[in-house]
This record gives sequence, structure tokens and C-alpha cells, in this order.
Amino acid sequence: MKPKQTLSWKPFVLSAAVLLILFPFVYLVLLSLASEWRFPDLLPSYFGLRNWATILGSEAGLLESFVSSLLISLSVAMVSTTSGFLISRAVFYHPKKNTLTLLAYFPYILAPVVFAACLSFFFLKMGLFGNITGVIVAQFIIAFPYALLFFSSFWNKKVKSYEDLVATLGGNRWQTYIKVLFPLAKGLLLICFFQTFLISWFEYGLTSIIGIGKVQTLTIKVFLFIKEANYYYGALSCCLLIFPPIVLLYFNKRYVFKKLV
Amino acid sequence: MKNKSPNFGIILFIAIGVVPFAAAFIYALLYSFGVIGVANKGFTTEFWTSVVASGEFFRSFLYSLLIALVAVSISVGGALWSTLKFRKRLEQKFLSFVIYLPLAVPGIVTGFFTFQLFSKGGFFARLSYQLGWITEASQFPDLVNDALAFGIVLSFITMIMPFFVLLFLNVYKNERIEALSVLAQSLGANAKQVTQRIILPILIKKTWVLIVLYFIFLLGAYEVPLILGQESPQMLSVLIIREIKQYDLDKISEGYVFAVMYTLIVSAAAIVLFLPKKRRTYET
Repeated sequence: MKPKQTLSWKPFVLSAAVLLILFPFVYLVLLSLASEWRFPDLLPSYFGLRNWATILGSEAGLLESFVSSLLISLSVAMVSTTSGFLISRAVFYHPKKNTLTLLAYFPYILAPVVFAACLSFFFLKMGLFGNITGVIVAQFIIAFPYALLFFSSFWNKKVKSYEDLVATLGGNRWQTYIKVLFPLAKGLLLICFFQTFLISWFEYGLTSIIGIGKVQTLTIKVFLFIKEANYYYGALSCCLLIFPPIVLLYFNKRYVFKKLV
Repeated sequence: MKNKSPNFGIILFIAIGVVPFAAAFIYALLYSFGVIGVANKGFTTEFWTSVVASGEFFRSFLYSLLIALVAVSISVGGALWSTLKFRKRLEQKFLSFVIYLPLAVPGIVTGFFTFQLFSKGGFFARLSYQLGWITEASQFPDLVNDALAFGIVLSFITMIMPFFVLLFLNVYKNERIEALSVLAQSLGANAKQVTQRIILPILIKKTWVLIVLYFIFLLGAYEVPLILGQESPQMLSVLIIREIKQYDLDKISEGYVFAVMYTLIVSAAAIVLFLPKKRRTYET
């Protein structure tokens, strides 16, 4: 006799979960295409590419925001990944590495916006207030501890023995980095670059404090549009904010969790 | 011969990783005691006394603590349940990509989206109107900027639960929990015992530091409560920035008292979590 077939609830729950995950993306794209969508209409009275066309013009300045966000995030990711990798070597080979690691956790764990508010005086004195350089420096200060801690497990006995081997064979420091350490850490460097890019790309509070509204990244734009109750442009900014990370995630997803546990 | 370069690295580490934090903390501390600041006249404890007496910080701290606790508990619980029930299906190609998508959504977008859905003029209010459940927008319940922080908690859950699902799936694979479960079953353990004595303890033990870290991150979250929070009490970061950035110069020092108190709490948490403990470790 055949066993009785029972209907599994799991596919339904999973399908619902997939719909829930995809819903925000679809909704934001639709909202960015909409206009004159007043309560209680379930559908907008205008639906088209009018809002997106403004990206090409300078009316909302979104294209400029996109470019400045990209410039800031790429700079922060590049500098923090490189410095995090190089400096972490000194920290994690140091006899007091546990204490130094603890020190790195303080800025990492503090809310960036509070950190920025307490640092703003120094930025003002150094002429880094309200300009892109200041925002890059401020974001670098919060991305650097992440990058440094990220490489903590890379500097182990095995890597040290490779370095010793290169030195024994007559290689200098430059050759150790170029021929051994960078190729060994290639995957990790890529993930760190990706993660620090996202830290910078998603940052709002710190950017608003140090940029004082003059540096208008995409997150700043989203909030400005929310304050103006211009939800269509807000949704459009959200789309611009979300899609680059999705592309990066697609290429990097297999690496993202490798380092966390 | 002594190698000099590690010392140069340590100097750079101190300059980038330690000095800004120390400078920010000392500045906030001095401001909170009236030593510096435009309207301040010298050392005083009046700002600290005033903040302690008003109790606003403690209300805000408790409020933030509860929100973070509820959000993390639901997220971790939901993620554990999803991992136990759907692990094999979540490893399929399509699902394994879809589940990563929420990681591409920043807090400010989550806040904006939640507002769009749950505000009185939002998607669900429109739907309720069309279904005849409400006749005007004001009848829709307060689900954003509300006292129970429904919108904030929901946003936090949608932000961190996918992360924990992915984390647990990864730990499940890396720690070879499948093999350990089979071994336990072959030794006579039933499904409930395998879950309670093998799977859950391993998953929690391997990830508890990250769970606590996320709790601390939520405690200091800014964008989501800024969009979805109420006027009072506010979450910690929103309250601190409101106080520091206000026009009343006499009140700014109180804002720095909040900042110092928050920094001390978070730093104490970091010390408890990451202070070097004397125990045997193994190299990877």
C-alpha cells in the first residue's frame, strides 16, 4: 500500500517569504515610476518614466549625488581596505594584540552619528567640515576599525611561516607582500573592499553631521525627499541606492559570510 | 636586528583607530563638565545633575534597550526556526540569492519603505479603505511614529533576520552539524534531542558575540528611529543628536552628557565582550 501523501506547508511558507523579500524592491521601483498617487487610490494616476527622466537633467541633482556617493564610497573602501590590511599585520603580530584589538572595538561599536557629533569640532578646526574630503576622512575613521578587525584571523602562524620562508630565501619586504601576502589575501581583500564600500554607501548620520547638508550623498537625498514629502523622488533615490549593492552582492555572495564565524 | 616596521604600524593604528575615539570622548567629557563650549564658564557638574534629575536619558536608554531586545530576540528566534525548517531548500540556487537581497537595503531605505507601507496614507491604509475596513485615513491604527515602536521593531527585524538566517546556515555547514546530528541519531538520540542538545547549542555558541554586537548596533541605530520614531521617548542616538544640535547653547552641554553616558555604556559592553580572557585558544 502506498503511504498517504500529506501536503507540505513548507513550499507555501517559502513562497510567501520570497514574495515578502521581493516586495520592497518591486514597490520602490513602482513608486519611483508613479506620480500624483493620493489617498485612497490603490494605484497612481500617473505611471511612467517622468521621474527617472529627471536623473538625466539636473533638476533633482540625483546624478551628481550618485557620482559623489560612488566617489566617496570607492575612496573609503580603497583606503580602509589597504590600510586595514597593512596595519592589521603590525597589530596582530604584536605581543599585546588582545589589548590593541579591544581598542579597535571602541570606535567600531559606537554609533557613527554620535562619534561624528563629538568629532565635528576637530573637523571644523581642520577645515574638513562640509566638504567631500571631510566626509571621506570621517567615514574612513569608522570603516578602518572594521577593516582592521576583518583581517584578524589572516595573520596566523601559517602566514608568518610563509613570511619567514620568503625572508630565508632572500626575499625583501616588498616581494613578501607582492608575491605572497597579497595573493594569499586576495579573496579577503575583495570582501573587505565590498563591505567597507557598503559601510560608506549606506552611511547617513555621520555624513549629515560632517557634510552639514553640503555633501549630498544618496542617503542624504533620500532623507531630504522624505522631509519634503516627495516620496516619488525618495523612492527613485532608494532604487539608485539599492541596485549597486545588489550587483556587488550577486558577485560576492559566496564570500560574504566566510569571515564572520 | 630589531624589525622597526611593526612599531610604525602600531603608531598608525593609534593615530587612526585610537586617537579620534579618545579625542571625541575627551571633547564630549570636557563639554559635559562645562570646561569648553561657547556658553560655558568653567568646570561645573550642573549639566550632569540636571540630566540625572530629568531622567530623560534613562527613559531613552530603557526604550532603546527594549526595542533592541525585542527586535534581536524575534530575529534570532525566527532565523533559528527558518534554519531548522528550511535549511536544505535555502541552499537551492534561486533561494540562496534571494535571501541575500535584504542585505543590500540600508536602514534609511527600510525606514522609508516601512513608512510608505504603514503610515496613515500608506499602502495598507489604502488597502484597508478599498476593502471597506476604514472610511478615512485617520482611522488607520498608528503603526509608525507610534508609542509601541511597531514600525521601528518591524524595520529592525526585516534588516537583521535575513542576516542571521545566512549566518546560521553558514555555521551549520562549517561546523558539520549535519554529520554530528547523524552521529547522535545513530547513538539513539531522537529528533528533539538532536535539536536541543546539538544544533541549537552549537549555533548559539558560535554566534553569540555577533548576536550581542547586533544588539549594541540596534541600541545606537539612528536612521530608522529618526524616520519612524516618536517625539518622546526617543531612541538614544536620535536623542543625543537632537540635544547636541539644538539652538539653545545652554542645552548643548546636556547633549554631551548623554553622549558621554552612551559611550561609557557601549565601551563597557565592548570590554565585557572582547577583553582578553585567559583561556586556551587554537590557531586556525
